Amino acid sequence: MRQVIKDARIAGWTEGTEVADLYWREGVIEGVGVGGEVDRVWEAKGALLAPALIDLQAHFCDPGQEVREGLAAGMKAAAAGGFGTVVVMPDTEPVLDDAAQVAHLQARAETLGGVRVRVAGALSCGLNGEQIADLAALQQAGVVLATDGVMAVRDGHLFRRACEYAEELGLLVQGGGLDRNLCQAGVMHEGRVSERLGLPGQPAIAERLALYRDADIARMTGARVHFGHVTTSESVELLAWLRAQGAPISVGTTPHHLLLSEESMASFDPRYKVFPPLRPPSDAKALRQALIDGKIDCITTDHLPWTLAEKEQDLVQAPAGIAGLETAWAVLYTALVVPRLLTIERLLGLWTSGPARIMGWKEPRLLAGEAADMVLFDLDTPRPVEPMGFFSKSRISPWDGQNLCGWPIATFVRGQCCFTREGFGEASGTSAHRVGPL
Amino acid sequence: MMEAVQIRHRHLLDLEDWSASEIESLWRTTDAMVEVMQRKVKKVPALQGLTIVTLFFENSTRTRLSFERAAKAQSAEVLNFAAGGSSLSKGESLKDTLKAIDAMQADLYVVRHGVAGTPHQLSRWTDAAIVNAGDGRRAHPTQALLDGYTFRQGFRGFDGFRGKRLVIVGDVMHSRVARSNIGLWTKLGAEVVLCGPRTLLPTELGHWPGVQRCFRLEEAVEGAHAVMALRMQRERMQSGLFPSLSEYQARYQLTAKVMEHAHPDALVMHPGPMNRDVEIEGVLADSPRSVIEQQVANGVPVRMAVLYSLLVGRAR
Repeated sequence: MRQVIKDARIAGWTEGTEVADLYWREGVIEGVGVGGEVDRVWEAKGALLAPALIDLQAHFCDPGQEVREGLAAGMKAAAAGGFGTVVVMPDTEPVLDDAAQVAHLQARAETLGGVRVRVAGALSCGLNGEQIADLAALQQAGVVLATDGVMAVRDGHLFRRACEYAEELGLLVQGGGLDRNLCQAGVMHEGRVSERLGLPGQPAIAERLALYRDADIARMTGARVHFGHVTTSESVELLAWLRAQGAPISVGTTPHHLLLSEESMASFDPRYKVFPPLRPPSDAKALRQALIDGKIDCITTDHLPWTLAEKEQDLVQAPAGIAGLETAWAVLYTALVVPRLLTIERLLGLWTSGPARIMGWKEPRLLAGEAADMVLFDLDTPRPVEPMGFFSKSRISPWDGQNLCGWPIATFVRGQCCFTREGFGEASGTSAHRVGPL
Repeated sequence: MMEAVQIRHRHLLDLEDWSASEIESLWRTTDAMVEVMQRKVKKVPALQGLTIVTLFFENSTRTRLSFERAAKAQSAEVLNFAAGGSSLSKGESLKDTLKAIDAMQADLYVVRHGVAGTPHQLSRWTDAAIVNAGDGRRAHPTQALLDGYTFRQGFRGFDGFRGKRLVIVGDVMHSRVARSNIGLWTKLGAEVVLCGPRTLLPTELGHWPGVQRCFRLEEAVEGAHAVMALRMQRERMQSGLFPSLSEYQARYQLTAKVMEHAHPDALVMHPGPMNRDVEIEGVLADSPRSVIEQQVANGVPVRMAVLYSLLVGRAR
């Protein structure tokens, strides 16, 4: 099937006209303005066409906790957020520490169609931090990253050996997280606000210490280690310093750590409970500066869905996490690009070439011969965040009700449309559905 | 029966947004309630026809009893709900637990919960008024109100809180009583000195306006007008917060000897339940300086005033 998107502003396209037409056949881009017969015309009407976004950290809770998300809902949520590729985390039931399990999950994703699902495997068996998982077999089955999750691997020796083993395989390791002992039972950032609210806190040093150990082990072993949710100013500076010393590391942060702060916890609303916890506003500001300085390489959603019943608990019982796939781009576009704190090119880079470089994947570009993984953004029409309309099963958002711009209106993966927002695609008189694999 | 109280709050979640004059007016209502409790028949019809539910997710028999007495002395219906342990363990969300009880048409909930902020969360899900009877480490506003009331009533020649000094000794970190008293006393112009092992005195609390930290008991008590000992829980030792009970007793037990450093009329207070001879010397607790029993007795009229003010006397 041959298709065209007409009158799009094309990211990275600098020649002449403001808008242009991009053609593709099956899953491969043919080029801009090549003309000729097509089976399907999409009218962009000046919307921005960019390479589909890449998220290196999402939890689909599949297998085992499909009530929270599941592969199908997670993939739809990703497509609706403008993502073409998502790396899913191994903290499932059972844990993704087994090659057959990984292969099965990928096969199911292929069958469903839509966004590309890549799998992060467990670094240790059962995420128990005691025995290295079968990393070679996992890699063979398609695992692109090994991680034990948000809590740092307890045993530094095990992390060191796992890094050596992964280095030899050329497998990326995700490190850092939080030092369990220092976190204690904390439910938020320890400091002025936690003391006022009487909520047990986690000191910022719990993150910095875990990052330091793992980043220095990366330097010692030569293993590539990624830190997916770095949340404090001091963590960013520490990692920048270690990188300058030659540690082969990369750094990511999340939309909520960039835009929200510990002050939100004063509402005693578990929507804001997240690990690592939301930090003081000065940290969020420093993270935003680090996006500009290049000390942060990518943004990840850390999409972590929970049901309403699970979140409607007291702040100790309520689980930590935000389901952010569907709002990630729009919140950052609205908060950073609209007020000119960040260029749209940089924001796109943090979601496309940044994560691709970390993973060792080809830089996504809208050029002839490249994969037709694309997203169309409507930069102008404000729409409120409506969690009840989420594709994610987690109908909870800290941005509930806020009017945002920049929403994705269509997502294409392997040339196939896997999401269109209501109202888009109808003008071209075709049978575009709101969502779903074609 | 009593003067109009100009209280504009729907709930008593904490005292943060209560003004000094609102607190003073609540205490004037308390004076009237004290008079009721001295009558032969200790009952008035002020809350007749209204239903109060005590919603205790954490056990506290005496606080519940005090509220129940305060409600019944004003002829309210009282229902008790004790949710031992968490609602999650029964597979029910906190919201669903509240909704189920809310269907019974309560006018006011008295809420005790082990986690800070839970009364705030509940207030979003019901039209009834909420009185916080203690949430986690955060707040125990009726305790602070009754402590302040007891001082106002019991300090010889009381002429206001300005210039007075309250010393709180012990496990401040885990104490909602300490946080609420710090808020109340500083709002009324008093100074608060926190004393105890450094591990139990969060640095941030020492930065609050009107608050100081002091790690030596004799120094802390110097010139104090009221000294409050907090309950020391043995499990704090296990979490590595201090070495041993005997070391704690040696350094921080409030004794008659230590009280010699205080103002000659200084009062000794304790929010209960008390570990005699652990955080407070037994003979000191029984001495004329001690107002520990008055604190308990004042709990009822203070809570009567709170219930009355929120349910009947609230300014429109």
